[in-house]
Amino acid sequence: MPPPTDIDAIRTAFQADLEEVVSDQNLQTVRDRYLGRKQGALAALMQSMAGAPPADRPALGKAANALKRTIEQALANRRKTLQASARPAGGVDVTLPGRETPFGRRHPLTLIREQVESIFGAMGFEILQGPQVEDDYHNFEALNMPPDHPARDMQDTFYLDRPMPGAGGTPSTHPATLLRTHTSGMQIRYMETHQPPVRIIAPGVVYRRDTPDLTHSPMFVQVEGLLVDEGITMADLKGTLITFLQAFFDADIRVMFRPSFFPYTEPSAEVFISCVFCDGTGCPVCKKTGWLEILGCGMVHPAVFEAVGYDPERYTGWAFGLGIDRVALLKHRVDDIRLFYDNDLRLLEQFPH
Amino acid sequence: MRILVSWLRELVTLPVGAGSPVNIDELAGLLTMRGFEVGAVEPWPAGPANPTSQAGPAGGNEPPDAVLDLEITTNRPDCLSVLGIAREVGTVYGTDLRMPELWSDDDDDQRDPIAVTIDDADVDLCPRYAGALVDVEVGPSPRWLAARLEAADVRPINNVVDVTNYVMLELGHPMHAFDLDRLAGPEIRVRRARAGETIRTLDGVQRQLESEMLVIADAERAQAVAGVMGGADSEVSSTTRTIVLEAAYFNPIAVRRTGKRIGLATDASYRFERGADVEAPVRAIARARQLLATIGAGQPRGPVVDRYPTPPAPIVVRLRHHRIGHLLGQTIDAAFVAPTLTRLGFDPQLEPATDPPVWRVTVPTFRVDVSREEDLIEEVARHHGYDTLPTTYPAPTEPARPSGPWRARDHLVRQLLTGCGFSEAITYGFIEREPALAIHANAEDIVTLRNPLSEKGAVLRPSLLPGLVDSLIHNRRRERQDIRLFEVGSRFCHRDGETPALALAMTGDAVACHWSGPERKTDLFDLTGVLVRLCEGFGGVATFEPGTAGHLVPGRTACVRLRVADATTVLGTVGQLDPGFAHARGLTGSDAVYVAELDLRLLTTGAFDHLRATPVPRYPSITRDLSIEIDDVLPAVRVRDTIRAAAGPALVSIKEFDRYVGAGIAEGAVSLSIRLTFRAPDRTLTDTEVQSVTDDVVRALARNHQAKLR
Repeated sequence: MPPPTDIDAIRTAFQADLEEVVSDQNLQTVRDRYLGRKQGALAALMQSMAGAPPADRPALGKAANALKRTIEQALANRRKTLQASARPAGGVDVTLPGRETPFGRRHPLTLIREQVESIFGAMGFEILQGPQVEDDYHNFEALNMPPDHPARDMQDTFYLDRPMPGAGGTPSTHPATLLRTHTSGMQIRYMETHQPPVRIIAPGVVYRRDTPDLTHSPMFVQVEGLLVDEGITMADLKGTLITFLQAFFDADIRVMFRPSFFPYTEPSAEVFISCVFCDGTGCPVCKKTGWLEILGCGMVHPAVFEAVGYDPERYTGWAFGLGIDRVALLKHRVDDIRLFYDNDLRLLEQFPH
Repeated sequence: MRILVSWLRELVTLPVGAGSPVNIDELAGLLTMRGFEVGAVEPWPAGPANPTSQAGPAGGNEPPDAVLDLEITTNRPDCLSVLGIAREVGTVYGTDLRMPELWSDDDDDQRDPIAVTIDDADVDLCPRYAGALVDVEVGPSPRWLAARLEAADVRPINNVVDVTNYVMLELGHPMHAFDLDRLAGPEIRVRRARAGETIRTLDGVQRQLESEMLVIADAERAQAVAGVMGGADSEVSSTTRTIVLEAAYFNPIAVRRTGKRIGLATDASYRFERGADVEAPVRAIARARQLLATIGAGQPRGPVVDRYPTPPAPIVVRLRHHRIGHLLGQTIDAAFVAPTLTRLGFDPQLEPATDPPVWRVTVPTFRVDVSREEDLIEEVARHHGYDTLPTTYPAPTEPARPSGPWRARDHLVRQLLTGCGFSEAITYGFIEREPALAIHANAEDIVTLRNPLSEKGAVLRPSLLPGLVDSLIHNRRRERQDIRLFEVGSRFCHRDGETPALALAMTGDAVACHWSGPERKTDLFDLTGVLVRLCEGFGGVATFEPGTAGHLVPGRTACVRLRVADATTVLGTVGQLDPGFAHARGLTGSDAVYVAELDLRLLTTGAFDHLRATPVPRYPSITRDLSIEIDDVLPAVRVRDTIRAAAGPALVSIKEFDRYVGAGIAEGAVSLSIRLTFRAPDRTLTDTEVQSVTDDVVRALARNHQAKLR
């Protein structure tokens, strides 16, 4: 198509041509078409101006120059745009390994603890921590285990050679003399300073003077749970723990409550779940019983309420203690509790971030 | 407790369905569900029948026998016996107990054949003591009796000793037999040990007695440690002609203390310290005398001498029917409650005109675990079955209380550090003394365990680092080169008690081996960079000052400070671990290990609670690069301080982008290149303004540090 010859037509045609430019080559063609010295539209326009009336020539010349500048500017802008969006030459081997930013893992016992906390947190439980170095009163005596109580043998205790400053709380007169054997002392510490209703869980490490083996570690992690209010029943204990265990393990597991003995609960129960290894059909892990012991629990003993000044006629409640290590072993099929304290990265790195 | 099923069947009727014996596994399951866990049912060869049994043969032909291996919880010493378990079984099946046959004393002879005295001051340690004589002919036990002991894991010795053990297993009451001829006369004295008194116990060990220990003595010396073990001097032997049978009730705490003190735990002490039946002694003696007579081992002589100065009043507990449902969450039929308690040996009497019913329940003396209403409710619940209780969910009556700030803090620490490539370790709270001292030099301040498992756990950790470094070394010795670990946990000392801390340890490559470029070894600045990020995560700024610590390399140790708002605190230390320390812990190889330990009490998530956002900058910034030559020991932080003070508010950042020592730089000097960024919140700064501030900075650096502009 021959270039148009009047100014407005040239401008319109140029705008249309510019829209079509997608490469440097296009750009040169369009430049030649409009600004070329011989065949360019503007050159033609200039020549045609020779035939115009003399009086019109200055105005025409001015307009033609303005158009020329507009075209030059527009072409220069387009060139920049083309350069900026030019694609790089050559490719890379996209299958080579990328640069990884290292990331670490939370400890599996932390992961389990956080899962437990989140299930109970959603049920309205406050999450607490207590001291690991405890006094005899909070660890034993207030839990209905006076000195010389045979049940103390169930929990072989580490003692300090002399008392350490205690964790406070009331009564604060008790010197801290031992490593807590369970998290149950937190029941006492909390009830001493709070009135019912009580809904707490207290995770933390505890210590027992057990020689380490596949299932024993002298230090392990426990979670204590305590709920106290008017009208709390053992049926509530069953309902809450079944809800928790099915949320934690699997909605299909079966839960069994069996009478047991703890000095600080009455009635007391041990809780079993259907074996996660054989689905309750019987295997070496569950010793062919189909059941795995998972936690201990019971209704808070009235002597415990009396120790903290609650009226056992008015309030009832329940408590449980869950071994985090034990459920971690069961849930993740770890076969030796000691592995949790080796901190071997080959184990830790199997767990999620 | 191992219970032979055939023995059990003597004392309680087991249901026999369609001519076949009760399924033992079913029985085991029922006991387990009532709180007596049957760990195993062992098939057991049927022994010779007990000719003294009143039970008669079971269904014509003797069924195969079995041993139930029962776990008895510490609150139920009454079930450390065939009788106790029989009582539970009778309650399960609704069948009656058969008490074993007892010896009836000849009423004609009422003279005490022996003198028994309990010191008045010691009646609390021994509220009851019964003794009786039997003329014996010592020899082996009949086979049926010995076989029963063997099934219970008790070694048969001779007919006399075996009968005392048999009675203990059957009725639950421990007994002892003395050789009368080897006592200093027909006299038993129950008293505390004398100062310096010793006794050789049946196990042949000479034991030192103490004045708080109760002994059974003759007129001259101690012949038994009460409730724990008899003495060798009056032991029954093949020449024994007459025995003194002892059945007593000893104070549980006293027996427990004595047993612990002399380091002896026996079948007898196990039962006494849990609580024996104060009403059982005379019955136990009568049973033993009956057995001795029946098996032809002896002839009872004279009556039982029973010293029982103050029998305790029976315990009566009120049981309100509505309270059972109140605690269990389900009403249990009153027609179930009373018969169940009765079969268990309680005596429930309905209080007149009570609706819902209230019982006054007399507790049998063998149920030492029952003293309150809840204890009786447990009895009812146990036999009704926990599986029959409904499952309900307790509605909250108040909004949940928020958890303590420690939780958000620890969570954020874990989040930030895992994001920096650190994995979480959990190590023991107790460690060896030596590494504890290397980090916490004040030995007096270290908390020591009185009874550690071993020297590896002798003290409570004053620092998390020894454990964490051990974990690092554990990995290092298993082909792992690049290791980054952290731990959040408690540390302990006498001065501060138990406090939360955070420790980090890293070694190996900071930049991993990759096809695109060279790897780089970790150095101190990798770890300080992590600490900067950690502090930023808590809304603070980390700064570092040269520091010292015994376990860190001098000159490569920094004190970590945290500035939040206008407050600055000392957070902890960071540095290169002393290779001597690492080597002593078992690290091989020459890679440097960098560690830090921080006081977690100082990190709080509250910094963002009052955050007020500042406007995003609206005007461009201007940068100026300076290269200065300074003394190479001058800390960079001093240079920064000078720059900041001289530059005023327009300076928004300082970045050291090059550090050079070598050709063209004077000996002992270093060239430091710094990029300064300036910006004003309300306008675009002019070149002139920025130049003027930069000139001030250069002059201040020259003045304070003799810095030369390059």
